[in-house]
Amino acid sequence: MNNCNYACGTADHTVNRRLFLGGAAAGLAGFAGMTTPAAARELKSAQKRMLVIFLSGGVSQLETWDPKPNTDTGGPFRAIPTSVPGIHISELLPEAAKRMHLLTLVRGINTKEDEHGRGATIMLTGRRTEPGLVYPHVGAVAAKLLTDKDAELPGHIQITPRGGGGFNKEDAAFLGPKFASVTLGDGKPPADLLRPAAITTDAEREAFRKKLNDRFAKSRRSAQTEAYTESYEQAAKVVSRADAFDASREDPKAADRYGRHDFGRHMLLARRLLEQGVTFVKVSHTNYDTHHENFDFHIEQLGEFDRPFAMLLDDLKERGLLESTLVVVMSEFGRTPRINDRYGRDHWSKAWSVAMAGCGLKAGAVVGKTNANGTAVTDREVNGGHLFHTYFRALGMDPTKNFYPAGRPVPIADPKAAAIHEILS
Amino acid sequence: MGSLRFRIGAFALLILVSPSMGSEPPLRERIDRHIAAGLPNYDAIAAPIANDSEFLRRVTLDLTGRIPSATEARAFLADSSADKRAKLVDALLASPEYARRMQEVFDVLLMDRRRDSKVPRAEWEKFLRSSFAANVPYDDLVRDILSSDGADPKTRPAAKFLLDRDLDPTIVTRDIGRLFLGRNLQCAQCHDHPLVDDYKQEHYYGIQAFFNRAFLYPKPDDPKAVIAEKAEGEVNFISVFDPKKVQKTTSPAVPGWKPIGDPKLEKGKEYKVAPKKDVKPVPAYSRLAQLATAITADENIAFRRTAANRFWTIMMGRGLVQPLDFDHSANPASHPALFEMLAEEFEKKNYDVKGLLREIAMSKTYQRSSEPTVAGKDLAEDRYATAILKPLSPEQLGYATMQATGLTDVYRTELAKKYSEEALHAKLASNLGPFRSLYGTRAGEPEEGFASTLDQTLFVKHGGHIRNLIAPRTGSLVERTAKLTEPSRVAEELYLTVYTRLPSDEERKDIEDALRGSANRTATLGDIVWAMLASAEFRFNH
Repeated sequence: MNNCNYACGTADHTVNRRLFLGGAAAGLAGFAGMTTPAAARELKSAQKRMLVIFLSGGVSQLETWDPKPNTDTGGPFRAIPTSVPGIHISELLPEAAKRMHLLTLVRGINTKEDEHGRGATIMLTGRRTEPGLVYPHVGAVAAKLLTDKDAELPGHIQITPRGGGGFNKEDAAFLGPKFASVTLGDGKPPADLLRPAAITTDAEREAFRKKLNDRFAKSRRSAQTEAYTESYEQAAKVVSRADAFDASREDPKAADRYGRHDFGRHMLLARRLLEQGVTFVKVSHTNYDTHHENFDFHIEQLGEFDRPFAMLLDDLKERGLLESTLVVVMSEFGRTPRINDRYGRDHWSKAWSVAMAGCGLKAGAVVGKTNANGTAVTDREVNGGHLFHTYFRALGMDPTKNFYPAGRPVPIADPKAAAIHEILS
Repeated sequence: MGSLRFRIGAFALLILVSPSMGSEPPLRERIDRHIAAGLPNYDAIAAPIANDSEFLRRVTLDLTGRIPSATEARAFLADSSADKRAKLVDALLASPEYARRMQEVFDVLLMDRRRDSKVPRAEWEKFLRSSFAANVPYDDLVRDILSSDGADPKTRPAAKFLLDRDLDPTIVTRDIGRLFLGRNLQCAQCHDHPLVDDYKQEHYYGIQAFFNRAFLYPKPDDPKAVIAEKAEGEVNFISVFDPKKVQKTTSPAVPGWKPIGDPKLEKGKEYKVAPKKDVKPVPAYSRLAQLATAITADENIAFRRTAANRFWTIMMGRGLVQPLDFDHSANPASHPALFEMLAEEFEKKNYDVKGLLREIAMSKTYQRSSEPTVAGKDLAEDRYATAILKPLSPEQLGYATMQATGLTDVYRTELAKKYSEEALHAKLASNLGPFRSLYGTRAGEPEEGFASTLDQTLFVKHGGHIRNLIAPRTGSLVERTAKLTEPSRVAEELYLTVYTRLPSDEERKDIEDALRGSANRTATLGDIVWAMLASAEFRFNH
């Protein structure tokens, strides 16, 4: 018996029958869009933003948000009190602890997937990997739903620790390459964004290009030719805003506060991009895959993470942006409560945590619970689908609505899950 | 004199045509009649026949994937013979570039720009290319693809379709439906298609039953794996909408046709080679062996409809049924009678691909201008009153850019006596990479729609690749035009090379003005060439 892979058990199919047939008859192919008036209204609502801090490799929940000191699984670190009475987190996050009143912790995550790639898929798309269908990443969905159509900058940016920059067509799936991420490898702008020195002036050739297009358009034009010619105007806007990608223009004092290391620089760049109007930024911090020497590595990694994270929260708060910016600290999964014989912790998706902040989430709150030594969720178990719903509810969107790739309704978030309503305002 | 020649010609034609075709006019004319019947006043509204430049560029791109050189353009424009279009089409279809173009189109169609996993790209491309060069009937080609188990090195390349999908039941079922039957049955996996009455869950599993016993031997991730099969195993399915959860099963079936039952075999005689550890089993009866024949069978109308529609789309830029993989009764063809006729004709002519493409290319429908008449301006595309503007494929765009900037001709000159299409292509291939990776769709996903993205635009605007192609070198367009003193000749060379047409007076003047005010002639010419390459007239086949 083949398992049904689709979220088809809902009434969506029948509801959208008329729409689908209309679309097919009109010969629309390959579109993916919100089609209801309510959705259109939402698109015009106040600009909201999202920041994902992705701790690559799988951060230990026990060394961060859900410590279990003095148990067989707890490891050597203490739990420390936070700015919210009664809530304790690991002593490796002293700065975050002081900002607990801004944070919301989800401690009952069970994603049932211990492999890096598939774990990341669950966390970034809110769904399990399915053959034959690829879902868009949260950044592409956010860019699609939240970015103003006149926006000058791309809506979906990721900052990776190293490696080349570029454009990733994969992560927008059926939403189309427009919403795919632009990658800033080590925080550097994509190669062809800046005008190379060899091209001294762009104005004359641009004027000539426009003239040629205008002449052609007099007798021959289509939606596609217009989209093509317009893409040059859009590119010119991005190029003119290229300094949005340049964190070195920030106050050196801010750079000192964030820390003079790669992650500090990347977080400062993330703040800059969000302030410049980019809808979605994902910053990756690596590497938490601590099969060996889990504790040493977490001291080192979290030592780098804690301060820039706290600084960014402070800055967003101070600038009044935290109310409209959703911040999520996630991983592909957590780490085993059991400590292996190399003082490591292995992949573990059955009971782990995510931290969130902003965008009207209940601050200083904890939802979900694990047992005494962290080996199982005992209260309010959630998976990637619940989190995905929660993000978009917080961002003011209705995640139960559909996209329509090739005319087929695909719910924005997994219909088998729902938002964690307790932490929504 | 003229009329005498005409009479001789007409007489010869009559003799040639009448015995073989009877009273039936050639396919191209029947296409035109059906299209004209699809719109009242079609003849008054339809765009005129495209001029020689427009036709030359269009058909060269469609049949060989590149634009003509300035030399070819000059020769065609100067040719005054009445049958020069027919001669051109025949020459293009006979050229090795035609086979290359079809290889590229069908590679993308069948493999969705997947990364290689089991069959190396070069072998697969060679298989496709030689099939199209030899004009292998399309049904034979599809049978080759669906019947190879990859064990024989000679036929292994054809197995790429199944092998590089790892025989994944969901993907293979979806893609057989999409590509060979014109129906995307993915939504019928869990229940009858909720939106398309014709698509049933049993159709989905009927296709899957052809290969549900097949598996990759010795193991799926072995790059040398072949397809093996067991003698047992059924597909079982339950509709998620069925409250009683009745489990159903089906033997292999082409949608709409009777399932092909398994023969009754004596117990113990199910295998020619029984399964054992490290032994590839061979069943006495193979379900998979029925697949290729069943899909391409004469009675399976869906196959020829889909085949005809795919070739029509390559030429016309739009399917008679659109989307191409949603052929069902509630989504009728734009010209139902034409669609039926085209499909039947294709089958009757033994799936002669070149023959079909030739007839489409010689139809008035194909040869209409892309400039609409006043009355035709707001007509829907599917009336075919005006030629549809087709964005160049990544490959077409790459080859066109190399041809326009002069690189292709530089290579031709370099190769001189050693020239062959293969040798030239080997030189061009490395320059094609960025076009494929930037303009191609996501690996493993079907091409759909058109998008112009920031990375593509920045690639044209600032990228070193385009800049290097434009840069002057012996024989390149900028270098050639820089040597010309007469501004009007410069304009001619630019427009013929990049746009395959002569410039208008106004356009000649633009070039003249730009050069007159220029302190650096080479730089100005570089800017003009860039602007032409970045323009819509170049980006689209029109």
